Amino acid sequence: MTDPVPGREAFEAEVIPQLDSLYRLALRLTTDPSRAEDLVQDTVLKAFRSWQRFQPGTNIRSWLFTILRNTFINDYRRRQREPIPMDLETAEPHASFRAVDDEDPEGTFFSRIVDAKVIEAIDRLPEEFREVLVLSDIENLPYAEIADVLGIPVGTVKSRLFRARRQLQEVLYDHAVEMGYIRPRDRAPIKQ
Amino acid sequence: MAGGPKCREALSLLQDYLKQEITPELATKITDHLEKCRPCFEHLQFEKQFLEMLQHKAKGQCCPDRLRARILAELRSELDSTADN
Repeated sequence: MTDPVPGREAFEAEVIPQLDSLYRLALRLTTDPSRAEDLVQDTVLKAFRSWQRFQPGTNIRSWLFTILRNTFINDYRRRQREPIPMDLETAEPHASFRAVDDEDPEGTFFSRIVDAKVIEAIDRLPEEFREVLVLSDIENLPYAEIADVLGIPVGTVKSRLFRARRQLQEVLYDHAVEMGYIRPRDRAPIKQ
Repeated sequence: MAGGPKCREALSLLQDYLKQEITPELATKITDHLEKCRPCFEHLQFEKQFLEMLQHKAKGQCCPDRLRARILAELRSELDSTADN
């Protein structure tokens, strides 16, 4: 029996193992599980229809992420939750580390923060920082491939990633202080 | 607190060092510094802990089974329609 569509088995073998990664990126972009599901489904069908154009040997993940992101921009983007207001140009480098340097220099407080709070903090990053953070720090794509997916220079990937991490650390630090996981720096001693 | 030129260099390259996106020569230079400088080493541990936490917490979200099934069904019906044409 001949294969009606050349490479269809290869398509399933390559693409199905990437569904978790695609779903995670879709969730972070749409911030809505039901829209994320539709976005992943649309992405896979589009990829299937242009499977002949995929060049074997290149990174399947970058190719799929690019299709997913373009589909999101063209068909799904809408006003998201308000990002956390912050002047990122003047965000102090290493500020969150400095804040916990004396008490928790290894950042063990991060592990005490519940998953949902971390996800919420990521979802409140501005979109251009959120997508870089997800592709780099969660999906482990190299800088050059992130630059390809997003259509921006590697230098921009690096600076956005730096700012995304700083902003996320700041938010999680504030949360940890609020929850009493760590003590705020420079707090006046409590009088008995 | 870290402050010398070597510390500044190490901290400015920490992100690339952790991503293994620097030349082996630079990586060796930074490793040497981190072994000798406790504040910079602690800073590295802090960033590492942050990245591990992100990986751990965000990777818990997986493609739901119903979506996986829906996609496979869609692919099959797409194949059927392609085969009919």
